[in-house]
Amino acid sequence: MREPNYVGKSLPRPDSLAKATGAAKYTADLSLFRKDLLYAKALFPPYGHARIVRIDTSAAAALEGVAAVMTANDLPGANGYGGMIPDKVVIARDEVFYEGDPVALVAAESLAIAEEAVSLIQVEYEPLESFDDPQRMLQEDAPLLHAQYPVPKDGNVSDAVTVKKGDADAAFQSADVVIDNWYKTPMLDHAYLEPDVAIAEPDPVQGGLVIYSPQHAVQMAKRAMSDAFNLPQSKIRVVSQIVGGGFGGKEDSTFDVSVIAGVLALKTKRPVYYEFTRDEVFKNTGKRHACVIHHQLAADKTGKILGIKVDTVVDKGAWKSIDAIPSRTAQYAGGPYSIDHALCRSWSVFTDHPYGCAFRGLGSPQAHFAMESQMDELARRLGMDPVELRLKNILRNGDSTIWGQVMLEERGLGLEECIKRVREDKIFQDPLDQSDPKIRRGRGMACFLYGTGTGMPTDGAHCLVQAQPDGSINIGASASELGQGFIIAMKQLAADTLGVSIGKVHIDFSDSAASLESGATVASRTTVLTGNAIVDGCRQLRRRFQKVGAEMLHCDLRTCEIDHDQVYPTGCPERAIPLKSVIAKAFASQVPLGTVGSWYPPMTYPNPENQGDKMHTYAFGCQGVTVAVDTETGEVTVEDAVLACDVGKAINPSTVEGQLQGGMAQAIGWALMEEHFMASGRMKNHTYHDYLIPTAMDVPQLRTILVEHPNCLGPFGAKGVGEPPIVGAAPAIRAAVRDAIGVSIYEIPMTPVRIMEAIRNSKK
Amino acid sequence: MVTIRFTLNGKAVSCEVSATEVLVDTLRVRFGLTGTKKACGTGDCGACTVLLDGTAIRSCIFLAAMADGHSITTIEGVGSIESPHPVQQAFVDAGAVQCGYCTPGMVLTSIALLEKNPRPTEAEIRVALSGNLCRCTGYQKIVEAVQLAAERMSGAESQN
Repeated sequence: MREPNYVGKSLPRPDSLAKATGAAKYTADLSLFRKDLLYAKALFPPYGHARIVRIDTSAAAALEGVAAVMTANDLPGANGYGGMIPDKVVIARDEVFYEGDPVALVAAESLAIAEEAVSLIQVEYEPLESFDDPQRMLQEDAPLLHAQYPVPKDGNVSDAVTVKKGDADAAFQSADVVIDNWYKTPMLDHAYLEPDVAIAEPDPVQGGLVIYSPQHAVQMAKRAMSDAFNLPQSKIRVVSQIVGGGFGGKEDSTFDVSVIAGVLALKTKRPVYYEFTRDEVFKNTGKRHACVIHHQLAADKTGKILGIKVDTVVDKGAWKSIDAIPSRTAQYAGGPYSIDHALCRSWSVFTDHPYGCAFRGLGSPQAHFAMESQMDELARRLGMDPVELRLKNILRNGDSTIWGQVMLEERGLGLEECIKRVREDKIFQDPLDQSDPKIRRGRGMACFLYGTGTGMPTDGAHCLVQAQPDGSINIGASASELGQGFIIAMKQLAADTLGVSIGKVHIDFSDSAASLESGATVASRTTVLTGNAIVDGCRQLRRRFQKVGAEMLHCDLRTCEIDHDQVYPTGCPERAIPLKSVIAKAFASQVPLGTVGSWYPPMTYPNPENQGDKMHTYAFGCQGVTVAVDTETGEVTVEDAVLACDVGKAINPSTVEGQLQGGMAQAIGWALMEEHFMASGRMKNHTYHDYLIPTAMDVPQLRTILVEHPNCLGPFGAKGVGEPPIVGAAPAIRAAVRDAIGVSIYEIPMTPVRIMEAIRNSKK
Repeated sequence: MVTIRFTLNGKAVSCEVSATEVLVDTLRVRFGLTGTKKACGTGDCGACTVLLDGTAIRSCIFLAAMADGHSITTIEGVGSIESPHPVQQAFVDAGAVQCGYCTPGMVLTSIALLEKNPRPTEAEIRVALSGNLCRCTGYQKIVEAVQLAAERMSGAESQN
């Protein structure tokens, strides 16, 4: 195959100039040029858990300019919606289970009227006991949060997953060393800058609804809300403009705003605009699950890991919708290591907290925080170099993961190279500045792996590819441009596969009516799965045009080249004819100009002990950091960070670097400052000035090393790289803090309070 | 309602605003300038940054009436897709744009910085940008974009 013209190059993204000049339109911007909108507002409860005793909406309904007031008695369809399990209530009927359950909805001619109307709704609540401790709620005698629930469940358990391999108990009996610790990780907000927003517009021609809302999955949205709208899935069209940040959160939260705008639009037969305030984004939308992890690791005296036993309890919050976290925390409980014996159990447990949802890394960061911290504790116990300990245990060609998947070099196994590149980095080579006795410095590293795709049998992607007679190409793809660089990567893949110049390729993105099901833009799957579907569709089309071109050029089909919009026999570019004349000939010869591109990863077969293949390929990485700890204030500063990541093949190195840097920054926030505080089901910090995320001054230069061990099943060798970069930094920072002050921390974020507490306790 | 007169992107404008109206709403709703983003409403994130007589301010906590008699510059006033400002071009070239919701505010803050300090150090850039939150990029390429713009803009000046 010829050298690609575009793949592997850092081409500028087509959306970046539109965004930098303010010309790009986000969903909220669409509302400002319309005169026909109603504005929605919802009333949310001032309790986490309460009974609704009485509700009086008469004053709101009587207010001039109010078009509709809705309670649970006024819904058009089922009182439930959700990504996979439709358990989230559209409007609470008798009881609220967290602060984000709407009690009543209003649509009015202006936002000001809607806000006034909501303030006139009278509700009498009976506060109920707060069920806020997932470990308590897991116990058999715990009271039930949901007495009534639409699908079968086991007490307060949303999902329970066990990964069982070999005989962990026997492995522990033969161990020289057992490391046994508890770890805690906090509840987090995605803190995407664009608030959740939706416009729902009735379709007067064929019936149904059009929904405009920034999100991750326009096709799944149709399924998630059709029962709530009482509409066939075919009559819901979902369009996502460019998205102002998602990080997994808008997979679920788009439904929270869309379903409210949608039921009001159906009620009023008018288009309805609904946007969460920042306060509502914090309180109502999904969160990264807080986890408590009991991690036991058995090893022999050479440092070989013999087995692990890991119990993870996950705060699921009030609703299920989508719940992949137990499966991911169990899968990744052993990190990127070859381990023969494992018993990893995870439970997600209902509480009266915001629902847990997808957030970059999907449980893998929590699992790796515990596992990599354990590796450091083991290294210290054995007096081993932590890097050598890891090199001794990492997954290599032919090794089996704790879920029984055999690792294959042909799918890309670059972890050893990542570790060695980080060990050679200045973080591990340069001496630490310890000149100020108050400021202690340390260095640390952590390793990880992260699968591409969901690993579920439903994973797959499809797209539409259509050539136009002028030689330009449309590709209908349902994935979302979240800022990650989806559009440019797909253009690069399509242009190189078809042999057209990149400017000829136009991506029709995230409109359910112009695309096919391709799964959600989550799970680091889009470049590989949608990318492979696009490559497939483009190859089919290319073959047709080669056939027509060979006839026109009187050459053998197998030697008919298409490159730079020209068609010519191999080695004879002087005989080239324009591709557009070949397409015009095909158009006139009853050769279809459109194809459906499809790709499925190898089939997976889940079993009760979760032994078997999951994702078809894994990205690997090694994170190194240097920290400075102020021993008088407890403040931790990350002074240097380098991330080596095996990405298979960087389709666009600049955007891949952007993913690595952004992931590192989010991980620094997770490790050091981000944490939601809940009290009796109520969120105590719900603004950007008390829920702190890193600023430009809180992160150092974020350096990246792209390692490329190609995935033979990926487009041009690519693996998914959206989420992996967030996984390594928290345990690496913990290790560096340990190195700096000689104290182990078991709970993040490592705030000054926790650092000072750990220092004081260590002196007792 | 009060009538205010101010200069908006170089043109004299006037409009009626209520006493409690914040500038971001005036710009977005009355003038259709949607490049100014409203992301938090509490003055924390910087997405709504505009320039008031050349100084970066947060338009979500700035009363529209206080703009009376001043000059306001929004992202639309500094460049366009056809003719971008050097800072906008540098953001594109450095790969500093991901989701883009923070970008207009970042660009305007950077322009205000470079106006006062044409060759800032990395630390000075980070201080200047520290009121503008970005959740996507880790700030690395944004810092590089400002450095690139500074280099190009001071280079262009020395040629003149």
